[in-house]
Amino acid sequence: MNRFVTAALAAVFSGMMAVSAIAADWTPPGPIKLMIAFRAGGGADTQARLIAEALASKLGWKFIPEQVTGKGGLNMAAALKDQPNDGTAIGMGVTETFGYNMAAAPNAGLKPSDFTGLTTTAGFQMGVVSLASKGWNSFDDVVAAAKGGEQLRFGVMSPRLADLAYLLGKAQGIDFNIVSVKGGKAVMDGVNAGDLDLGFMAGIQAKGVAAGDLVNLASALSTPLTQTPDAPTFADLGVEYDSDGYFVFVGPAGMPADARDALASAIAEVAADEASKAGGIIKKAFGGAATITGDELTALLEAGYSSAGQLMEVASQ
Amino acid sequence: MDTLDYIVLGIAAVFQGPELFSLFGLPVSVTLVMIVFGFLSGIVVGATPGLAGPVAMAIALPILISTFGYTPDALLPVMGFLIGVMKGATVGGAVPAILFNTPGTPDAFMTTLDGYPMTRKGQARKALRVAHFSSVSGDTFSDVVLIVCAPFLALLVEGYLDLPEKTALLILSLSFIAAVIGGSPAKGLISVGLGLLAVFIGTGEDFYPRLSFGTEELSRGFPIATAILGILIVSAVFKELEELWREKRASGVIAPVAETGDQRLRFADIRALFPYIARSSVIGTAIGALPGIGSTLAATLGYTVGRSRYEKTKTDGDTEFGKGAPEGVAATEAANSSVSGANLIPVLSLGIPGNAAAVFLILAAESIGGFNPGPSVFRFTSDTVNPELVIAFGLFTSMFIANALNWTVGGLFMRSMGVMIRVPKQILLPIVLLLTLTAIYVQETRMVAIWFTLGFGVVGYFMRSVGISPLPFVIAFILGGKLEETARQAFAATGGDPFFLFNHPIALVFMVLSAAVIVFTTRKSREPG
Amino acid sequence: MGPATLGGRSIFTGPKTNLILGLAITVFALALVFVWIPLDTDTGLVEKVRRQVTIGDSLAPTVAGLFLLIGGGLLMLFERNAPDQRELAISSLGFIGVLVALIALSLLVMRFTGPALVAVVNMAFDSSLEYRLLRDSVPWKYAGYFIGGTVLLTGMISLVEGRVGRRTVLIAVAAVIVLIAIYDLPFDDLLLPPNGDV
Repeated sequence: MNRFVTAALAAVFSGMMAVSAIAADWTPPGPIKLMIAFRAGGGADTQARLIAEALASKLGWKFIPEQVTGKGGLNMAAALKDQPNDGTAIGMGVTETFGYNMAAAPNAGLKPSDFTGLTTTAGFQMGVVSLASKGWNSFDDVVAAAKGGEQLRFGVMSPRLADLAYLLGKAQGIDFNIVSVKGGKAVMDGVNAGDLDLGFMAGIQAKGVAAGDLVNLASALSTPLTQTPDAPTFADLGVEYDSDGYFVFVGPAGMPADARDALASAIAEVAADEASKAGGIIKKAFGGAATITGDELTALLEAGYSSAGQLMEVASQ
Repeated sequence: MDTLDYIVLGIAAVFQGPELFSLFGLPVSVTLVMIVFGFLSGIVVGATPGLAGPVAMAIALPILISTFGYTPDALLPVMGFLIGVMKGATVGGAVPAILFNTPGTPDAFMTTLDGYPMTRKGQARKALRVAHFSSVSGDTFSDVVLIVCAPFLALLVEGYLDLPEKTALLILSLSFIAAVIGGSPAKGLISVGLGLLAVFIGTGEDFYPRLSFGTEELSRGFPIATAILGILIVSAVFKELEELWREKRASGVIAPVAETGDQRLRFADIRALFPYIARSSVIGTAIGALPGIGSTLAATLGYTVGRSRYEKTKTDGDTEFGKGAPEGVAATEAANSSVSGANLIPVLSLGIPGNAAAVFLILAAESIGGFNPGPSVFRFTSDTVNPELVIAFGLFTSMFIANALNWTVGGLFMRSMGVMIRVPKQILLPIVLLLTLTAIYVQETRMVAIWFTLGFGVVGYFMRSVGISPLPFVIAFILGGKLEETARQAFAATGGDPFFLFNHPIALVFMVLSAAVIVFTTRKSREPG
Repeated sequence: MGPATLGGRSIFTGPKTNLILGLAITVFALALVFVWIPLDTDTGLVEKVRRQVTIGDSLAPTVAGLFLLIGGGLLMLFERNAPDQRELAISSLGFIGVLVALIALSLLVMRFTGPALVAVVNMAFDSSLEYRLLRDSVPWKYAGYFIGGTVLLTGMISLVEGRVGRRTVLIAVAAVIVLIAIYDLPFDDLLLPPNGDV
C-alpha cells in the first residue's frame, strides 16, 4: 500500500546508524523548552521526560519540560510554531498530529511545513484489543458476535482511528457503535470496566496481554504486532488504510541544520539505547525504538498530511 | 495460596523490602521510611494554604520514579510515599481551613463553615483536635471497608452501572450539589451553570476550540488549577482582606484572636461527636466506592446529614451549625477522610480513580510497571503467586502503617502547624496569594494562567458577595468534562439513542431524583422561616 | 461574615439583589445560548459523522446555559423576596478594584523586570544578551519574581494596613526569598514566573 511508509520503515535502522555518526558540536544557546503534547505522568510523558533527563546528564543540555495538551496535539503544534527556531524550543507529539489532525482542522492554519522534524522514537503497537474474558479468540469471533445481533462498542482515541474503526466494520459487513474517548488509557479503562467491548490500544495493552487479561484481536498496522504476530493486519481484514504512527520530536520550521542534526541524533540515540531508562520503557511498551530522522522524517510527515484527505473522504461515505 | 498467605506476603513485602538502614539491629525497609516521609510531607503540604496533596504528588512522582527506577521493587516505596502524602494532606488540609478560612481543597471548604468560626471564638486548637480525631477515625474505618470489600463491591457496582447510568449519576450529583449547598437552589444552579460554562470553554471534541473567540489564550481551556484555586482560594483571600480593611477603617486596629477556654478534646466530647463521625464515615465510604465521585460530595453530604441531625437533637444554647459547632467540623472531616480508602476500591479493581490522589497512584503504577490496576489484581490464584495481589496487600499494609502514624504523631505534628495563626493575617494572606499564583505558574508555566486565576478570584469574590456559594462552581468544573465525555460515549454506545437517559431503569431513577431534589428544595426554600 | 453594606451606599436598594441578579443571569444565559454558542462553536448540538449521529460541541455549553436559565428564572420567580439577601456596596467595588489593579501592576513588573534589566545591561556594556536565553541562569531568573513579588506583597499588606512601613518591605522581601527557596532551589526543572513563557 503506502510505498513511502514501507520505505521509511526500511530506513529505520540505516537512519539510526547514519545519525549517530554525526558529531554533536552544537550546543544549545540557552535552556531548551520541551513541549509535551501528552498529559503529565502518562507513558508518553514519562518517555519525553526521561529522554530529556538522559540528554541533560549525558550532554549537559538543560531541558524545561512543559505540558501542552489537547486537540490531538494541535495545541502543542500551535504553541511551538511561533517559538524561536534556534533549537531552544522543541515539542513531542505523534505523527498523526502533523498528518490527519492538521488536515482535518484547516482553520487552525497549521501544516507540517511549519515544523522541522527531528526524530521519531517509537512506533505504535496499535492493536484491536478486547478483554480475554469476552471469549473472543480471533477477529472472526467479533464478526460472528456482531452478526449474531450483538451491538458492539468500539473505543477509539482519535478521529483518524474512528475512521479506521468505521472502515473496519464496513469491510466486514458489520456496524460498530464507535465511542470516542480521551487517550489510550481511557480505552483500556473502558474495556476493563465493560463499558466498551473492544478498542484501539497503542502499546498500553502489552502488560495485560502478557498477563492473559487482554487479547490482541488484530493489528491496526501495516505489519503484524510484535507481541501477537498471528493476529491479522487491517489489510488482511480488507481495510486498505492503517494506523501506522510514531512518537515524534519536532521543532519550529527553519531550524539550522547543525541544531537539527545534533538534537535528532542525541534523542534518537537515547531512545535506541535499551540500557537507558527511556530506551527501557520504549522497549517494554513498543518492542524497541524506531528512529526516523532527516529527510525521511520530513517526507513521512508530508505524506501523512497529504494522504489524510483520502481517508477522510472514504470514511465519510 | 489462600487469602491468608497473600496477606502475610503483602505485609512481608513492606517490612522486608530493600533495607535502607538498621535501627537497634532491626532492618528498616525503604518502604517504611518512604511512608513516614510521605506522611509528614503530606501534613506540611496540606497545612500550607495554597498547597494540597495532589500538588505534592505531582512534584514528587517524577523525582521518586527517577530515584527508584522501573522495577516492581519500586512500586511499594513510591506508592507508600504517595499514600503517606494522601493521608497526611487529608488531616493537614483542615489546618488552613480552620485557622484562616482558606480551604486548600474543595472538600475542606465545608470544614471552614464551623472550623473557622471556632477559631474566631478562640477555640482553634480544639477545632484542630476535633478535625484530626474525626479525620483519622473516618480514614481508618474506610480502610477496613476497603480491605474487606475491595474484591467484591466494586465489581458489583460497576456491573450495574453502564454508560447511560453513569451519565445520569453525574447529572444527579450536579443537581444535588446545586440544591443542597448554600440553601438556595436557584443560586446553586447558577453556580453549577457558571462552573460548567467555564470548563466547556476551549475544550470539546472538534478541532476548533469552542467559545474561545479564536484566541490562543483560551484555546487550551482553563487549567483546572486556575479555576479551583482562583474560585476557592483567591476569592477567599480577597474577601478576607476586604474585611480586614473594613475592620481597620472602622476601629483603626486589626485585633488578633486570643485563645480562650478549654482546648482539650475530652472523652465527653468524643462521645458527643461519635454519632456524627460514624454517620459521616459510612457516607464517605459509600461515596468513595463509587468511581468518579470524590470527597467533595462526601463532605457536603456528611455535613448536610450532620446538620439535620443536629437540628433535631440540639438543646437551646448549643452553637448552631455554621457558627462554630465542633459537630460540623467532625461531620465534614470524617466524611471527606473516609473517602480516600474506599476510593481505592474502584482504583485497584478497575483502574478508575475517584479523586486526584487516586489518579497519582494509578500514574505511579502505570509508569513503573508490574502492577496493572484492573480485574486481574484480585485474582486469587491457587497454584502460582499473583504478584499484583501481593502488591495490593502491600498497599493495604502501607495504609495501616500511615494510619498508625496518624493516630500517634499525626495530631501533634498537625497542631504544630497551627503556629501559623500567630502570623498576622494581613501579612499571611498576601503571601498565600503569591504562593498560590506561584504554584500555578510552576505547573502551567504561562503567565496567562496567573491572569486566569486572578479572574476566577474576582468572579468568586462577586459570587461570595451576592451569596452564591463557590463550591458548586468548582464541583461542576471538575465533573463537567467527565459529564460531557460520558454523555457522548453513552450516546454513541447506545447507537445514537436520544433517550438513553430515560429508557434505562436505573438511569431514569437518577434523572427523576435529579428533578425531584431541585423541586423539593425550591418549595422548601419558599416556606417562611 | 459581616454584611457588605458597612462601607456606605448600596448599589441595590433593599432586597432587590436576587431580582437584579436573576435578571442579569437570565439575559446572559439567553445571549450565551442564542448568540455566543452558535457564533463561536464549529459543530451543532448533534452531528452526523460516519453514518452515526454523535453529540456536537454545542450541546454541553447549551446545557450549562440551561442551568443558568433555570437558576436565573427560579431566582426571579421564587426567591425574589427571600429574606437574607446580601447587598453589594460601592466601597467594596472600590476596594476590590484597587486590589486587583495593584496585583495586575505587580504581575507586569514581574513580567518585564528581567527583560528590562537585560536591556539596560546591553546599553551600558554594549553587549547583546537575550533574556530568553538567560531565563534559567542566576541572577537573571530571580529578578522579575523578586521585584514583582516584593511589590505585590508590600502593596497588598500596605493597602490593608493603610500605611507603608519599612518593616512591611522587609517582611515582603523575606517571604519572597522563602518562596524562591521552596520552588526553585530543590527542583531543577521548575521555573518561577515569568520564566516559562518569555
